[in-house]
Amino acid sequence: MMAKMSDEQILHAAADWWLRLRDPGCGDETMEQWLAWTQADARHLPAFERMADLGSQLDTLDEVSRRQWAKEFGRPTATGRTWLPFAAAAAIALLALGGFLARSRFEAASAPQVYVSTVAKNRDIVLQDGSSVALGGASMLTTHYSRDERLVDLGTGEAFFQVTHNAQRPFVVTAGDLTIRDIGTAFDVRRTGQRVTIAVTEGRVQIRNNVAPYGKAGSDTIEATAGQLISYDPASSALSVGSISAEQATAWRSDRLEFIDEPLSVVVANINRYSTRPVQIADADLESLSFTGSIKTDALQSWLNALPQVFPLQVSQDGHRVTLSDARSKPAH
Amino acid sequence: MRHPFAGPRMSRFSDESTDLGAESAALSAHGERVAALFREHNRALVAFLQSRLNSLADAQELAQEAYVRMLTQEHLAEVGSLRAYLFRIASNLAVDRLRMRKVRNDRALEDAPVELPPEELHVAPVPERHVSALERWRDLRRALRELPAKTSQAFVMHVIEGRDFATVAQSMKLSERMVRYHVASALAHCRARVDELEMP
Repeated sequence: MMAKMSDEQILHAAADWWLRLRDPGCGDETMEQWLAWTQADARHLPAFERMADLGSQLDTLDEVSRRQWAKEFGRPTATGRTWLPFAAAAAIALLALGGFLARSRFEAASAPQVYVSTVAKNRDIVLQDGSSVALGGASMLTTHYSRDERLVDLGTGEAFFQVTHNAQRPFVVTAGDLTIRDIGTAFDVRRTGQRVTIAVTEGRVQIRNNVAPYGKAGSDTIEATAGQLISYDPASSALSVGSISAEQATAWRSDRLEFIDEPLSVVVANINRYSTRPVQIADADLESLSFTGSIKTDALQSWLNALPQVFPLQVSQDGHRVTLSDARSKPAH
Repeated sequence: MRHPFAGPRMSRFSDESTDLGAESAALSAHGERVAALFREHNRALVAFLQSRLNSLADAQELAQEAYVRMLTQEHLAEVGSLRAYLFRIASNLAVDRLRMRKVRNDRALEDAPVELPPEELHVAPVPERHVSALERWRDLRRALRELPAKTSQAFVMHVIEGRDFATVAQSMKLSERMVRYHVASALAHCRARVDELEMP
């Protein structure tokens, strides 16, 4: 090295090493060279660490944003212009086919809006197109509106959508592996981790499972109508259909959580969206116990008190948390 | 990070060496060599693993696993460069971990990591957490707009869309080396911008 490298040059070198090392095919020699580089200057390894940290951050970018970035930067402006009319034609063709993935290439999307609710607080929101959303406790919703599409992502929790229908500007909700497309509707979506349930209270929705079920090729799409409950189980990547009344589906809006054949782990995760003290399951075998029933979110204590009568578990609690443990494997306190 | 030579695994190892009597000296020399590797290279090893796994926690876990593998390796004396050997073990562990993640994603056999574990909803208020992530994306997007079109394009195609250098090179009609140069420039620029915003 002739002169001392500037911080900028070091950062560039760190980025280059990060790109090379990420390749699983990089050999011992590259690794040795990199190690020599990290030892050549005290600033090198910290710069590399900052790069690895940026990489880790970028890795958490959500799907919707990824598509937006790809759309904005994916093609150079010069060729982009001549390419637009073809893109428009393609978009129209896809819409005509009812393609889910037709994405507007006409304009930059408007800035995403994030809506969050805190524990035990439901929120009513009116979106910019007039559609309304009731957001459950500890839930998070992001909207990405463009002229041709209304994309909404449910990050976690529960939301009830009453959609102002506009066939020219589809309303699409993503929740984990599922894409839900409205066809003139009111529906409820609950996302617990990767598990998703959708209850249709009015009209119809189209639900697409973006993960191929094990042993099946492609993805599957089903249409659900009012009164149907669609459950997505991430363990099998499968959709199942049941029934639910509109009253049950939106009971949470009047402080009552309704569960139909849900694992206790899912029930507990949803209760935690309303409980001031987190409820934890200490023994994994309790997680799969199936629960059907309704729970008053303003009277969680009485549900907890009754729980040992229904399930072989015991409830222990202090001021900060509630723990459910297996009553069979441990002596009672 | 927990020191890899503390804890139950290490005590098992020591029991073994006392039982083996004559071999104990060799074994402790062996342990000493691995301990020296840890002191000298742990930071680089974790950084290397993080670049593969995109997770600091996973990187720390696998680094520890790599030392344990070295400790339980019988023929360590025959290994030429211990350092190269350590990084090779770590690299293989990273490949296995990525494969495992892919299987999980593909089959969704296990509940994918919940983005906000229920307990965390109680610890950290949701709004700040997410809004700050969102602000970071906005800032990064702004940083990308400051770059030449080719630089941001190469970056998005490789890092955001996950296309390999060969594919990006073909579609941008550039050499793979040029693509890597553009992507590195974009990364350096983004990192510098994030630093400015985080440490004004």
